[in-house]
Amino acid sequence: MRNDKAWLAVLPVVIVVAFTAIVPLMTVVNYSVQDIFDVDTRIFVGLDWYRETLRDPRFIDALLRQVLFSGLVLAIEVPLGIWIARAVPREGPATAAFLIVLAIPLLIPWNVVGTIWQIFARPDIGLLGAAVTAIGLSYNYTGSALDAWITLLLMDVWHWTSLVALLAFAGLASIPRACYQAAELDGANAWQVFRYVELPRLRAVLTIAVMLRLMDSLMIYTEPFVLTGGGPGNSTTFLSQYLTTMAVGQFDLGPAAAFSVLYFLLILLLCWLFYTSVMKGGADDR
Amino acid sequence: MTADARKAHWTLYLYCGWLLLPLYWLLTMAVKRNQDITGTLEVIPARPTLDNFVEIFTNPVWYEAFANSLTYVVVNTLVSVAVALPAAYAFSRYRFLGDRHLFFWLLTNRMAPPAVFLLPFFQLYSAIGLFDTPFAVALAHCLFTVPLAVWILEGFMSAVPRELDEMSRIDGHSRAWFFFRIFIPVIRSGIGVTVFFCFMFSWVELLIARTLTASDAKPIVVVMTRTVSAAGLDWGVLAAAGVLTILPGIAVVWFVRRHLVKGFAMGRV
Amino acid sequence: MAAIEIRGLQHRYTEAEAVLDGIDLTLSDGEAHAVLGGSGAGKTTLLNLLAGLLQPRAGTIRFDGRDVTRLGGAGRNVAQVFQFPVLYPSLCVAGNIGFALGNRGWKKPAVRRRVAEVAGLLEIAPLLGRRPRSLSLYEKQLVAIARALARPDVAVVLLDEPLTAVEPATKWRLRRALKTIQQQLRLTMVYVTHDQSEALTFADRITMLHRGAALQTGTPSELYEAPSHTEVARFIGSPGMNLVESEVRGGQLCVGQKAIAPTGLSDGPCVTGFRPEWATIETGVAAVREGIPIAVDTVRPLGTEDGNPVGLVTASLDGKPVHVRQRLEKLQAGSAYLHLDPERLVTYRNEQLATHAG
Repeated sequence: MRNDKAWLAVLPVVIVVAFTAIVPLMTVVNYSVQDIFDVDTRIFVGLDWYRETLRDPRFIDALLRQVLFSGLVLAIEVPLGIWIARAVPREGPATAAFLIVLAIPLLIPWNVVGTIWQIFARPDIGLLGAAVTAIGLSYNYTGSALDAWITLLLMDVWHWTSLVALLAFAGLASIPRACYQAAELDGANAWQVFRYVELPRLRAVLTIAVMLRLMDSLMIYTEPFVLTGGGPGNSTTFLSQYLTTMAVGQFDLGPAAAFSVLYFLLILLLCWLFYTSVMKGGADDR
Repeated sequence: MTADARKAHWTLYLYCGWLLLPLYWLLTMAVKRNQDITGTLEVIPARPTLDNFVEIFTNPVWYEAFANSLTYVVVNTLVSVAVALPAAYAFSRYRFLGDRHLFFWLLTNRMAPPAVFLLPFFQLYSAIGLFDTPFAVALAHCLFTVPLAVWILEGFMSAVPRELDEMSRIDGHSRAWFFFRIFIPVIRSGIGVTVFFCFMFSWVELLIARTLTASDAKPIVVVMTRTVSAAGLDWGVLAAAGVLTILPGIAVVWFVRRHLVKGFAMGRV
Repeated sequence: MAAIEIRGLQHRYTEAEAVLDGIDLTLSDGEAHAVLGGSGAGKTTLLNLLAGLLQPRAGTIRFDGRDVTRLGGAGRNVAQVFQFPVLYPSLCVAGNIGFALGNRGWKKPAVRRRVAEVAGLLEIAPLLGRRPRSLSLYEKQLVAIARALARPDVAVVLLDEPLTAVEPATKWRLRRALKTIQQQLRLTMVYVTHDQSEALTFADRITMLHRGAALQTGTPSELYEAPSHTEVARFIGSPGMNLVESEVRGGQLCVGQKAIAPTGLSDGPCVTGFRPEWATIETGVAAVREGIPIAVDTVRPLGTEDGNPVGLVTASLDGKPVHVRQRLEKLQAGSAYLHLDPERLVTYRNEQLATHAG
């Protein structure tokens, strides 16, 4: 039903989002093309800040680390999440209990997640750190870049695999029993049940799950900030952390703004690439 | 298939154990004295104490921070649901100029890294005098809670047949009466799920909350990070505060658990 | 294909109530058997037990004498068509039809030949390269049926209300296709349905299930002519059999105080059953003598038969509705009388068939 008066109903959302997104975003774009000395002295510099940012080796390093981190996180969390979701019983009293336990990490403030893992992984007071040290491995996430990465990945898997698992469970729960029964009568093995019965029907929820994990992992800030502070060295400094240092720490408005625009565009681009490739794959099914 | 599920069960227990282990460790820290924490490694606290919690409940810095956090989370949730309800209804029921574009544009806001908005937010909320109030944080969090709320609610509303709308129109009820007395109760599961997610995303966020507050409105998440850096390492109190920040989330998930399961069943969460 | 022997089959989901309570059933090889019943009768449970998707609490199932009771779904070699089309979304139609063959170690060329053969049988060869998503509901269900027919060695093909999801307009086409193939290939088929007309037209024999018990097994005409239980009498036929309170008095069956026919039953109350076409309602003086007084409520014309208009007459006998299908010329204004054909009446005591055919 066509009704342009429906705009009135959408208006509050548009106003709120305009206030929280459009105005700030315009400010950012505005800053990104100016050199700002103080409130009254501004010089238009065109795309200079963009050029400078793209040549900044620290930006490039942070970007590469970011892409590596997101790639690893997706590669671990998506299969693991599906695996966990398949292990949850579809119905019965245990189902709700498992779902609530799975949901817990998602409800913890992100800096508390960092704190929890700090406490958990420290070799001196942490259960994990002490256990790893006790079996004779040298482990110190504040000293070794590799250890820091492993700890960060473990923490992110702990924190976010539940999201994939819960979404995948939602998808699995909506598959009719008859589909499984047919596969059983066809003599399908466990892998075939997954490949031909479940996976095609999980497509929609997995798309959402991957999108959410992709963008959120690209934005990660708080957890590494608390756990490693970006170190040792800059080995766990990701884009958000570098940007925050630039914008709030050093007040480099122009470069920070150019960085922000590039950052946002990067996430949009990656999400769009993923989404269109999924949709194209879907079109083959038609 | 049934045998398969039974076999996979123990891996699930294992995974849940791995989820709960760091939490258990946090809990033991919260009931230990600092010298016990840094002394020997105790898997089960030998001398449990509630001193850390007493410290939090008697120190205004801590409990005011809790109140601040809860204030902006509740305000954010209310605002998000209030503005998202009519918008989601419009998206699910009508075609209008630019509707699809608007919907996708709303979703792209979910993809904006908070770090990008720090500086403009800081300046914007300073300019309008909301800086260092819970309302600044509540509004700023709308950046990602409102698109999410619209998206979830639209899914639930689209699942309600249009005949329901038409029936009440034929019965001669006003649109407002229909919306509040019939429609809202029908989609209450959707509202439950939306509340859960708005609450969750606002509650767990640190970066924006830290940037938009200085002293008066400092939320619990910020107090926690500053305790680490400023007052040295009071691990026990830090752990106790961590435990307390987990409780609201668990309370919310408990209250909306049935709606959540329904929401999951619709694949729109 | 196989003969199927079911003995004392019991199933329950909770301790309180049996879903199936001691079913005995024998199907010969190549038989089309319909399981008929309302919702909650236990039809789908019986089917799942046959398929091996459920394990019974008690009883045995034999295929060609081989005890398969404890075998799972894959071990029994059965095929099933479900209420809605169950297909593998990511496989093309040919892949769907050949899926089970590949799993049983068939070589690719053999699978391809068999798929083409089955597709030809169901006239879906043009669909083979397409994905399920692009098919209509009717086509999807055809593919699902093709999937069930692909394995030439299956013991039995089970159909769980396969026409439910299909539009009424295409139902009869699908049913005819099924029946033709069943006869051509001499398949043992078990067809579960709640639709008595589907069962009557499809099956060689029918089993009527009611609350977990098999009330009657027989040919369609046996179930129609002599239902062994009042529930079967009511369920089969459209409208169902008329069942009227009556009495045996001195060796005479009396309906509405009027002696109708001699009977071997002892004296006492009973229920008399007759199909709508086993009776006529007539008016006029000649009708009075052996007729039972009755009040005509409505008449619904059903077209003509040999040039005479026929219709369904609804009348009241002792305040209960009675349906009669008859030629309408016998019905004029005035007092109406019901005439029963004494040769075809059936009587029931305690819901069980007591006598039939007078």
